[in-house]
Amino acid sequence: MENEELERKEILDGLLEVLRTVRTIDPARLEGITEETDFLTDMDTPSTELINIAAKVEQKFGVEFEDDDIDDLGSKVKDIINLIIKAKARAQE
Amino acid sequence: MTEQELEYAKVENLVGQLPEHWMLHGPKKRYVDQYLYHSPSVGIVASYTPTEENVEDHFDLFRGVDQIESFAQATVVSCATFSECKKLSVIPSELAKRFVPAFISIGQVNFHSYLEKGQTFINIGFIKFYKWRQMVCEGRIYRAPKDLDLVEYFKDFDEKRLLAYDLRSDFVLIAELYDITGRGIKKEMFAKLQ
Repeated sequence: MENEELERKEILDGLLEVLRTVRTIDPARLEGITEETDFLTDMDTPSTELINIAAKVEQKFGVEFEDDDIDDLGSKVKDIINLIIKAKARAQE
Repeated sequence: MTEQELEYAKVENLVGQLPEHWMLHGPKKRYVDQYLYHSPSVGIVASYTPTEENVEDHFDLFRGVDQIESFAQATVVSCATFSECKKLSVIPSELAKRFVPAFISIGQVNFHSYLEKGQTFINIGFIKFYKWRQMVCEGRIYRAPKDLDLVEYFKDFDEKRLLAYDLRSDFVLIAELYDITGRGIKKEMFAKLQ
């Protein structure tokens, strides 16, 4: 359980690094970000930006997302973290 | 594989293909006549000539918004349809049963000149991003020199020339288009957007 929490925390830290490079995200809104933060409603991120974030996340974490992953992706921070964990697990299969 | 699927599987690029075979909408709102050059991972050149109907109620001019539509059809819609069909090994009509080609966003567009009825123009665009059925293209629209044989002219075109907009000096710049973005959305998801 602790390992899982640690992994999610590390991913969140890496995700924050990615988000700081996204032009349409106000850095001030990254203060206090949690897994429940919603990109669309809490951060006013344009929905079109989620694809760009996903592309940067792939590079940052060395994972690969599939078409269906992106189709099903929710707009909360936890949704991206879950997807990274899923893609990592898939790569190890 | 059916005979039709085999025929499509053999197609290496869109040059010489009929736009109506790859874009299933139309004919009234289809603004591509001919594919002149196509490098599937790089970009495309396609022409269109506005008709009487296209300029009706608009000073005999082809509207700017229709120029953007033409560019998007020539680049994002055509290139993404081609690549997705190849990836999934399906024909365009099969692809259309699964996905709706949706306009997602438009970046900046700068207009430099205009197009009248009967004036042939080319859309020349390159692919900036293509992943997860989303494609982003940018490029230009040029009015083609009158009476130029475009098929012959683009016969030996190449990627380097496309990326540099390397054209004869009598092509007239009409518009520059940035970040034209489209995505193939699953039909069931598209229905939920209503």
